[in-house]
Amino acid sequence: MSNRIHIKAFGMVAEKIGQVSMELENPGTTEALKNQLFDQFPVLKSMKFSLAVNKKMVLEDSELVSGAEVALLPPFSGG
Amino acid sequence: MEKERKPKNIFVQGPIAPEKIAQSIANHATKTDIGGHSIFLGQIRADEKPEGKVIAIDYTAYEEMALEKAFEIREAIFAKYPLTCMHIYHSLGEIKVGEICLFVFTSSKHRKAAMQACDELVERIKAELPIWGKEILDMDGHVWKVNT
Repeated sequence: MSNRIHIKAFGMVAEKIGQVSMELENPGTTEALKNQLFDQFPVLKSMKFSLAVNKKMVLEDSELVSGAEVALLPPFSGG
Repeated sequence: MEKERKPKNIFVQGPIAPEKIAQSIANHATKTDIGGHSIFLGQIRADEKPEGKVIAIDYTAYEEMALEKAFEIREAIFAKYPLTCMHIYHSLGEIKVGEICLFVFTSSKHRKAAMQACDELVERIKAELPIWGKEILDMDGHVWKVNT
């Protein structure tokens, strides 16, 4: 059975990695995903960003379920 | 019976027209239990950056998450203050200097609740909604806005 997750990137993060969305094999946890992204996009290491899983901010390492939508969110600057 | 509130769209494509603000005020004339409105308008400022002068801000958002979060904030503010009405509008796309990009409107029986709620709403919108402003410069480039 496929176990994939959907990545969405916004703002400066999208600009730096050159993509707004990706499909990845589920690495299992948000920390594992971050490490995988750092390997693939070293530019992210020096950037400040947060993760939201299924539209909820994630503050600590969390499990990723199959089909999860993970968003890479640089600091907000609305208003 | 209390009316059930549902997530509303807060996003407006392009700048918020002053006429829309006037119309929104006029729409409250029939609500005669209101004694005070408070309005905050965000306007694009021509900031001078080392890289150039800001001529516009291009706003993008994680819209689905922003609408969920805006609803959550809205419910919390309604629970905290005795408000009659609350409206939030935020622009998306390119907004030029001098144009309005944020319109927050609260109404209450007495002024203090409206003013405090409006202030708290603006702070929470800036801190918690996944919206990003890309500052377009006159020098052929851009910088990402940082909220202070």
